Amino acid sequence: MARRNPIRDRVAIVGLGSTEFSRDAGGRSPAALACEASIAAIRDSGIAREEIDGVVGALEPGAPRPSQLAAMLGLSSVTHHSSPMPVAMFGLIDAMAAIFAGQCDTVLLYYAFTRAPWNSRSAAQDPFRRYLAMNTGTAKPPMPESMDPSAAYTTWASRYLHEYGASREDLGLVALNMRANAARNPKAAMRKPLTMEGYLQARMIRDPLCMLDMDIPVDGADAFVLTTVEKAKAITKHPVVIHAATAGMVGPNEEDQLPSLARHGQHVVAEALRERSELWLEDVDVFFPYDGFSIITLGWIENLGYCKPGGAGRFMREHWDEKRGAVMIDGRVPMNPHGGSLSEGASRGTGHLREAVTQLRGEAGERQVADAKTALIGCGGFFFNSQGAILRRL
Amino acid sequence: MGASVDDAELVDRFPWVQVTHDNKHLFRGWLDRKLLIDRCDDCGRFHHPPKPICPECWSSRITPTEVSGRGTIHLAMALHQGAPAPGVDYAKGPHPVVAVDLEEQPGVRFSSTVVGCDPSEVEIGLPVELDWVERYGSPFPVFRLREGAKRGGKG
Repeated sequence: MARRNPIRDRVAIVGLGSTEFSRDAGGRSPAALACEASIAAIRDSGIAREEIDGVVGALEPGAPRPSQLAAMLGLSSVTHHSSPMPVAMFGLIDAMAAIFAGQCDTVLLYYAFTRAPWNSRSAAQDPFRRYLAMNTGTAKPPMPESMDPSAAYTTWASRYLHEYGASREDLGLVALNMRANAARNPKAAMRKPLTMEGYLQARMIRDPLCMLDMDIPVDGADAFVLTTVEKAKAITKHPVVIHAATAGMVGPNEEDQLPSLARHGQHVVAEALRERSELWLEDVDVFFPYDGFSIITLGWIENLGYCKPGGAGRFMREHWDEKRGAVMIDGRVPMNPHGGSLSEGASRGTGHLREAVTQLRGEAGERQVADAKTALIGCGGFFFNSQGAILRRL
Repeated sequence: MGASVDDAELVDRFPWVQVTHDNKHLFRGWLDRKLLIDRCDDCGRFHHPPKPICPECWSSRITPTEVSGRGTIHLAMALHQGAPAPGVDYAKGPHPVVAVDLEEQPGVRFSSTVVGCDPSEVEIGLPVELDWVERYGSPFPVFRLREGAKRGGKG
């Protein structure tokens, strides 16, 4: 079955900008990081500041709002601005839809990340981050039994191990893949080599997930400039375009009420992407499964159809490149060559999106996949932020 | 007791959650040590967490209905660190958290901790029953492994 996809290949990503991803941004605010990335992206696009008429910024804690960023950048005529939920594809989908609908022609899409007092010891010492803990809306902290998404991924990881007889080593391969790839990414926060023994000895946080199953909090920002494919072609002969992009969700989607591992947001994404796309797994040159938690990566590998449910560990072993210390699907397709959220830093998928565009432009240096033309991104997790995209170089 | 507590006091008794028109019955039930799960008067289906309508048939005739609190552990983890709470000491050992499939309607789950056993005994698939502890001066629903459920732990 094919689904309608009139937006296919109509919107291009023509500008990239990012800061370093650091565990100590040395006293810089999320606003300063967003400005640096945004200016870099606009300059990279070659499009004049006056032509930026859309501003889309994810609702990340501490990140400047689009109005604030427009004021800082002196954008003089903005006809579309919005603040989608965090996790990268929501912003991408909003920006592309606004351009395709004619609400604006050129969007600055930005994301800024700041370590919070509850996920970083050094951030907890920083008086300028206290405000991040003030807005929880409750007088007491949540109960230990609260099924917030980060806790819930652990419980579903436990369910996964139970249902499929999988092992912690299956989760560990995800961490090893990301760390080995991060060694080739100067931006990555975690580049120290990791072994399976090291993984298994890492501090347990929420059994069965240890600290190396969870993405690494960083300060940093990513920005992108998107415009119509017509305008992009005036700039470059082979622009990177969005072939298909979608969100996916089922009901119930509350963390502890999700029906099962066999049917959740990732399955909806996989179906919608496949039915809207002329390209699929055999066409993919570089694969970007989200890894905010290692269990999410196993889900993407299986639910996009690389292997059967419960088979991701075996799949990674079968496609393991010993020399690289990482997955090379069919000896050809790497998985998160930038190191993902586990090792580059917790950018909620913006690192995946940036690296996808970088690879398709052929600008990934020693990480470059030869002649990469098509990238598949499976972003977000199981509950209410599953999303995905296929990007291609025209 | 729950019925005699007015809305303002109810909100004060549970400062760590957002008490609303739609879930206030759940927390009033806690004060009476009763687990009340929303049930649709029209189609008879339970749902959780509380919603203003039945997600199955869209009826707005919802009755918070006492359930047995018996069920089966569907999801489980052991927190080695986490949010603070009275009676929870991560230094003494991991704190178990489970989502329990309620026997009245499997698929509808209630999440809490498990008391009265070693954390290593808590496993997916084990039968549990409801119990109550005190948290910040109010009753708090928890689970306990049912007689004969123990498998002797992992080790």
